[in-house]
Amino acid sequence: MPAKYLEAEVRREAGVAVIELRGEIDAFAEEALAAAYEEAEAENPETVLLDFEGVDYINSTGIALIVGLLAKARAAKKRLVACNLSAHYVEIFNITRLSDFMGVYPDRVSALSEASTP
Amino acid sequence: MTERTPQPEQKEPRDAAYWARYAETLKVSGVAEGATNINVEGRRAVGPLQGFGKMWQKTYRVRLGGVAVSPAEVIQTWKDNYKDFWPEGNVFYAPLAGITPGEVALISGSLPGGVKLSTGVMVLYADEESFTLMTPQGHPFSGWITFSSFEEDGATIAQAQVLMRANDPLYEVGLRMGGHKMEDEMWQETLRNLAAHFGAREPVETNLVCVDPKLQWRHYRNVWHNAGIRSALHMVTAPLRWRSARKRR
Repeated sequence: MPAKYLEAEVRREAGVAVIELRGEIDAFAEEALAAAYEEAEAENPETVLLDFEGVDYINSTGIALIVGLLAKARAAKKRLVACNLSAHYVEIFNITRLSDFMGVYPDRVSALSEASTP
Repeated sequence: MTERTPQPEQKEPRDAAYWARYAETLKVSGVAEGATNINVEGRRAVGPLQGFGKMWQKTYRVRLGGVAVSPAEVIQTWKDNYKDFWPEGNVFYAPLAGITPGEVALISGSLPGGVKLSTGVMVLYADEESFTLMTPQGHPFSGWITFSSFEEDGATIAQAQVLMRANDPLYEVGLRMGGHKMEDEMWQETLRNLAAHFGAREPVETNLVCVDPKLQWRHYRNVWHNAGIRSALHMVTAPLRWRSARKRR
């Protein structure tokens, strides 16, 4: 099956920078993720939300890329949260213990509502 | 006759079979002769976010130039002979089921100063072209080691990438006082051994990046699980255990 490269689009909603992810998060996703994160950070939001609705493949290199984003966000004193993870990816976030450090929300509405709570 | 509404097919994601299943704590399925399971069973697996020290991404890679071998063949060979590529002095007790997701391997190694260390790793992820090991609480570092192979500029590359933090303040000091160097040399030798297995003799490239220079002081209590201290205590108290075992007989 041909690889589906990651597409990442940045939107602004309720003061939160939302990165909509579509495709596969693996070693080839590094550039797209880094560029999207940089764009998201440009307006200095307090929270960056990763929306995984369009993601259908993550390998361990992909999880390491997300850890890298989390480290960047924490260094810049920003919150990095996630939404729309399938049950499978929620389990991956639990196994890798990413969920200890990242808020994980079932959908974008709940993530945005939580992010706007002081 | 009732008409049945077709149900949407619940497809498993393509990566589902490659990941370990969630388990609160690690379980070792069998302890090989010579291995010690004092720092693995019942411990939690920890990633690079749970540790104490600076977060490092260390990448070691070797080009298998002039060798006709595919990335999948490299990874299969690496999985099958993992222990043989390690430098002398460290022993990897491969799980009975091999390097497959969720399996736990025991390790006997050494720390700077010659302290013997009993620890282990869990196979977090394994597919045809990569696999990742995750460390338990008490291991010198909390993190992942991803072994992968891919093609680049007409050659097959073998790579080991470590994403880690020292697990506690003592290990952080140890890493700064020679532990990092020991670790770098270990992975460089591993890759040289792997390359030699395929008949390649190219240098190992090393790239070290500090991803997060901050220490996570709230995790200083990780020292409670320190496998180096526990291994040393286990060794020192061995005569007492022998004596009480003899008395019971």
